[in-house]
Amino acid sequence: MKGKLFATFALLAVVALLVAGCGAADTPTPEVTEPPEETEPPVPTATPTPRPGVGVKACQVSDTGGTDDRSFNQFAWIGMERANVDLGVEIRFLESTGEADYAPNLNTFVEEDCDMIFGVGYLLNDALLVAATENPDVLFAGIDTWDTADNLLGSLYSIEQATMLAGYLAAGMTETGIVGVYAGINIPPVTAFSDGYYMGIQAYNEAHGTDVTLAGWDPVAQEGLFTGDFFDTDKGRTMTETLLDAGADIIMPVAGPVGAGSLAVMAERDAGLLIGVDTDWSSFFPEYAEYVLGSALKRMDLVVFDQINAMVGGTFEGGLYFANLENGRVGLAVGSEWIDLVPASLMAEIEALAADIISGAVSAAFPREAVE
Amino acid sequence: MSAETLTKETGEIYVSQTRRRVLGIVFLGVALLIWLVFMRGLDPEMTSTMRLYPGGSTVVVEDWEFNTLNALRILAVGCAVVGAYQLVRGFKNLTGLAFALIGGMFIFAFLSWAASGGRLNLAGMLRIMFIRSVPLTIGAMSGILCERAGVVNIAIEGMMLTAAMVGTIVGSLGTLWFGLLAAVLTGGLLGLVHAVMSIKYRTDQIISGTVINIFAVGITSFVSAKFMQAYPEINSSGIFKPYEIPVLGQIPVLGPVLFRHNIFIYSMIIFVILLTFLLFKTRWGLRLRSVGEHPKAADTLGINVFKTRYMAVILGGMMAGFAGAYFTLGSVGRFDSAMTAGRGFIALAAMIFGNWTPLGAMVAGLLFGFSDALAASLALLRVKIPSEFLLMTPYLITMIVLAGVVGRGQMPAADGQPYIKE
Repeated sequence: MKGKLFATFALLAVVALLVAGCGAADTPTPEVTEPPEETEPPVPTATPTPRPGVGVKACQVSDTGGTDDRSFNQFAWIGMERANVDLGVEIRFLESTGEADYAPNLNTFVEEDCDMIFGVGYLLNDALLVAATENPDVLFAGIDTWDTADNLLGSLYSIEQATMLAGYLAAGMTETGIVGVYAGINIPPVTAFSDGYYMGIQAYNEAHGTDVTLAGWDPVAQEGLFTGDFFDTDKGRTMTETLLDAGADIIMPVAGPVGAGSLAVMAERDAGLLIGVDTDWSSFFPEYAEYVLGSALKRMDLVVFDQINAMVGGTFEGGLYFANLENGRVGLAVGSEWIDLVPASLMAEIEALAADIISGAVSAAFPREAVE
Repeated sequence: MSAETLTKETGEIYVSQTRRRVLGIVFLGVALLIWLVFMRGLDPEMTSTMRLYPGGSTVVVEDWEFNTLNALRILAVGCAVVGAYQLVRGFKNLTGLAFALIGGMFIFAFLSWAASGGRLNLAGMLRIMFIRSVPLTIGAMSGILCERAGVVNIAIEGMMLTAAMVGTIVGSLGTLWFGLLAAVLTGGLLGLVHAVMSIKYRTDQIISGTVINIFAVGITSFVSAKFMQAYPEINSSGIFKPYEIPVLGQIPVLGPVLFRHNIFIYSMIIFVILLTFLLFKTRWGLRLRSVGEHPKAADTLGINVFKTRYMAVILGGMMAGFAGAYFTLGSVGRFDSAMTAGRGFIALAAMIFGNWTPLGAMVAGLLFGFSDALAASLALLRVKIPSEFLLMTPYLITMIVLAGVVGRGQMPAADGQPYIKE
């Protein structure tokens, strides 16, 4: 009796752990279409698209939220998938379910002989630096991380440049005169979105003499509306209902998949518009496209692909990579359903603003020093 | 020994002298807090505005605007009167009510102070309170069903998460109603697993529940990453549309707060009434409770302990499945990994807070829901409290309530003990 009990229980526990492990480790590993080993002597002729990355392994550790979050993690993963298709690089992926996972996940990939390991997310900065110092032979690259080494590339995004354009757009389109924002956690790469959004609204107010206000973010106090995580989609619903009840009509959720809760509320009430972040939400959520006014893009896919390409070509260098409007790694995409509905004059003003940001005539960063 | 005992002769609750005095002093302290902290430095001309209809409502009423300072004076005096009476005479068996009254006055004073010079959507907050309480209350009722029969169920979280995912997939392929049915059945199936492990094989019930929770996280993130990403069409179930109850929905203020919701909110209220009746007014309920209190005695009287426990745990699982369906079919319309965000554990706290009764669990659920709504509204009003502290509100309230108010909860006597038939 007792043996049977134990056997059943143990079996269940093993199955559970196995599945839990698979869920993280085994996820999308598209097969490498070309066999890495060639038995015949290489024929030096017609290979129209050379796939220089065959035999190279690129691995990615995500932050919490998963590669299917239709936002942050997923966009970084798209860059990996492109490297797989275009370059023939083998790609692997591990999802972090909490901060305690970062270092073990990075180490797992070191042991799996990955040639290049990406850490996606600001919170992975320290774990990346430790891993890069301990493993000088492996190349590391981070998204939203700032520490660097010879084998560690950090990348910083001037996302406030993109959200400034989005804020200008929102201020030009609001009917209530109140624009809203809520975010995941109060950390700089997240609040940079809100800061730029605020600056865009101010720029619109100055140009048009209007008094559009921002609910959910106080750039002076650096405080506002936060969900506290990046996975509680039901809380996204609460935040959106609160903002809509307070009179805001265009809302930007800076919280990854949590923003899906906003779209559900907007569709239910048939009220409000959304500014997506990271990816173009009108193409990621086609069923809700009519509620997506625009998206502030953070082209992590391009940055990830560029770095893999550099590694394959042997030109990878550690250091800091800056993504901004000028090199097209951040930007504004108007929602697919709204392209024809945004007035041409407003679009022209936004384009002029973009040109001013690139030339340096206008700064999208909130002038914190001036306030203090 | 508990501070409160039921005297046999009168049935009155006897409140000890010390407890009476301490509560009285606490109440007076609240009055002082309102007078000294909230009223300090307040402009006498300052007004607070409360909006009394949620956004998108068709029943529009005028905003309620009042002088903040006068309102705070009235509330402080009110608290002082209640506190003085409590200190001198005591409310005896109405003490709970007095506590709620003080809590209500304090919260209203706080809101008036926070909204001074601004506008707060009171109706919107109350609406969110009801919506947020749904998974907590229904989840807590899952716990009540299991624990009243003597089986601890800490797997509510895992059951909700798995059911949320299955509900989305089936709901996307078929109709929402099929999705809901599938979610309930999924919960029931996990309930059966828990029942087999904890009743038949007498596994430690905490471990059995933990295994189900770990299993749920693994299987859902696996399916989500492997299939739901590749085929987005199985992850777009949509949500149940809100239904306005005729006539009642048109009542000013209360209508949009209470009677314009989707089926999950109505179901919660129906379940609370139904389960209260079934547990405490029927033979079925008496048998279920007897199995949780003294299974041996129940067995002697011819009640099948094992059968009763199996039924209770499976029903509890189905209840958790229903609560899980709320996250996808009632709230967002798609599944994301870890989306239940620990709400199953707060549901357990709500169950304990509610002293293992459905009505108490709902009160607890509403309190947690209110603290969520409050945190969001305060952040919008730019109250000078860091957002991290505001996010803690629900957990702070849990601790205060569990430690101070329901320290004398009566858990079922045989809770967590496997029954061995001799």
